[in-house]
Amino acid sequence: METRLEHDVHLHPNHQRRLAQSVMRRQLSLSLKIGAVFLVMLFGLPLVNYFLPELANTPVLGFTATWLFLAVLFYPVTWLLSWVFILQSNKIETEITASLQHESATQRASDSNEGGKA
Amino acid sequence: MIEFIPLAFVILIILATVGLGIWATKRSSTASDFFVASRSVGVGMNASAISGEYLSAASFMGVAGLVMRYGYDTLWYPVCYAAGYLFLLLFIAGPLRRFGAYTIPDFAEGRFDSPFFRKIAVTFVLFIGFFYTMPQMKGAGVVMGEIMNWPYWVGIVVVGAVITFNVAIGGMKGITFVQAFQYWVKLFAISVPIFVLISVFGTYGERMNDNVQNPAGQPQFAETTAMTIKGAAGAPANVLNMKGPASYQIGPDSEFQVDKPSALIQLPNTEIQSLIILPDAALAATGTAFAANSPIISQQPVGVVMDEGKSAKVTFQAASVVSFDTATNVPNAPDNQTWLSPFGNFTNKQGYPLLYTYSLIMALVCGTAGLPHILVRFYTNPDGRAAKRTTFWVMVLIGVFYMFTPVWGTLARAIVPNLYANNRTDAAVISLPTALASPLLGAILSGITSAGAFAAFMSTFSGLLVSMSGAVAHDIYGRIFRPKSSPESRLVAFKVATVFIGAVSIGLGLLVEQFDIAKMVGWAFAIGAASYFPLLLLGSWWRGLTMPGAATGMLVGGFASVGTIVTVMIIDKSGQAGVVPPLARVLMEQPAIWAVPLSIILMITISKITKAKVPADVDLKMLRLHAPEEMGISKNYIEH
Repeated sequence: METRLEHDVHLHPNHQRRLAQSVMRRQLSLSLKIGAVFLVMLFGLPLVNYFLPELANTPVLGFTATWLFLAVLFYPVTWLLSWVFILQSNKIETEITASLQHESATQRASDSNEGGKA
Repeated sequence: MIEFIPLAFVILIILATVGLGIWATKRSSTASDFFVASRSVGVGMNASAISGEYLSAASFMGVAGLVMRYGYDTLWYPVCYAAGYLFLLLFIAGPLRRFGAYTIPDFAEGRFDSPFFRKIAVTFVLFIGFFYTMPQMKGAGVVMGEIMNWPYWVGIVVVGAVITFNVAIGGMKGITFVQAFQYWVKLFAISVPIFVLISVFGTYGERMNDNVQNPAGQPQFAETTAMTIKGAAGAPANVLNMKGPASYQIGPDSEFQVDKPSALIQLPNTEIQSLIILPDAALAATGTAFAANSPIISQQPVGVVMDEGKSAKVTFQAASVVSFDTATNVPNAPDNQTWLSPFGNFTNKQGYPLLYTYSLIMALVCGTAGLPHILVRFYTNPDGRAAKRTTFWVMVLIGVFYMFTPVWGTLARAIVPNLYANNRTDAAVISLPTALASPLLGAILSGITSAGAFAAFMSTFSGLLVSMSGAVAHDIYGRIFRPKSSPESRLVAFKVATVFIGAVSIGLGLLVEQFDIAKMVGWAFAIGAASYFPLLLLGSWWRGLTMPGAATGMLVGGFASVGTIVTVMIIDKSGQAGVVPPLARVLMEQPAIWAVPLSIILMITISKITKAKVPADVDLKMLRLHAPEEMGISKNYIEH
């Protein structure tokens, strides 16, 4: 079974699988990296609260440090993480598209060369 | 006249909603418009609409109420409601849009080429949807009760009927505009009044500092305050947890019991004569004392004085007026230290605070990715990149909103602590403005927050109705019963389904008056977290997932969560809270910590066993999920 793509790329099933794996691996590794930062923050804070209550309850501007962090500062940090993710993710996708187009152009060139010989 | 101002605001927002819905409907003609707004909605509009749909009664009223009632522990609700979108962005938003299906059931069927699996997925649209509508309905009942003194059910029936009508005529296109509009109404309503209130009652930091500086302190009544406490029918809201110093009168005409022996309680002699002690009481029918937990029925007021450091739990069998004297500690209010610190009454009630906290976080973060009415909106993005940009802006819009909610809870604790006594903390955002010295200004600000609350449950309930009715019309009717039905007859089916589901939602709303709004929403999230989230995560990223694996994980995880949560609800409603051991109670009340891993492990194990059932074109499917649009692999599941 073959799939017809734009730029006249015919994908053989084996090629499909390789392509799917490489595309997914790059995207997943980015997601996991940023997800790890987020999870450390999310699951680390209860541990700080539990094991270092004095640090968590340090007064800051009338609040406790842990209240200020969770109720106010947490949001901008998630915005930053998501912004970094989108920039990186779009970059990866542009690279994938470019390399595929390059590949298909090379393929076409070699196809027409072979045609010339025949 | 002043008392009608909030009602005027509410009517205004209802008219604006219905009017915008009708206006937008005129521009919506095809079936595709009806279901996914033709995939033509811009990022700004779509982000506002998703935020508008997402910020429910739980966010608008419930979070402020929970923060007021329990303090730090409940900050996890707004944080995870917002942060869940980061998870959605990292793992689900892009692939889901690229796969090009209308709904989760479309994804379920398309990913495994299995119409059977669609049926299972549809079940959960309805399950999660109904769990999520219950708190919206409670919100409607509470607001109308606060501003109009209507009975609880009237608000629910009126609001439910209006929204159901609006959705039945407008569909998805209608509500996209309406919901984008409603986001901005909500942001205005949660932010502008709080600045006025801060200028009068002190800043967020100052009111927080009151708690920090005086850890042993507790909110007190600033003046003599009388209120009605519910009877046994309102359990568990029929309890006053009193802490001395306290002086208050119960009745006339009361029926109650006290959990502590008489030494704590002195009854003024003048009122003793009319105090009747039932025959099975452990003490004599006369005197100045009575035994623990013996029922007391009195036609005359019963005065109670409690010294500092004493505490007692008063439980009412029949609704009764209680009048608290000035400087009495407010019952049911945690002391400052407990309220302010992590692991207070919310997560530590059963003694497993870390476990409870983690399970709550998992339910909320994973559950965001499993909400059917939110995910359907990602299909209205033109492509995967737009879906990601939309998610970012949603995070900003809802994050800004959520930063305001604990401010309300903190100020309400300081200014209107009487809400603790009769379990009305869910009404904090409506009630706080009325504490202003100027009744006119108070009524206007309260009108604004009431309108915001209405915008909140109207938009969320609309979204849920569209998802649930869409599931019934598009999936059950259109694909299971009448695969050859015309788009027109599916539209009719959609409208009929809307009316039916609206009616069921109203009925369910009447049953849940005593549950916290935000807590109920947490349950809907827990069910989504253990059913849809594992399906979407593994379905998007693991080529080896098979239909039997996905179905088993989803069914077991989802139904196990529903089962334990419903059991907890029934136990609480029947007043038998003590029968479950603490650890079991934590795991039943917050099932995500075991249900999500269970669901994922089942999916992986069963998929490995049924390896042969991996779809033959799975690599193409994975490419459709992940390859950039420029490669031309993505296609819309339903062409139009």
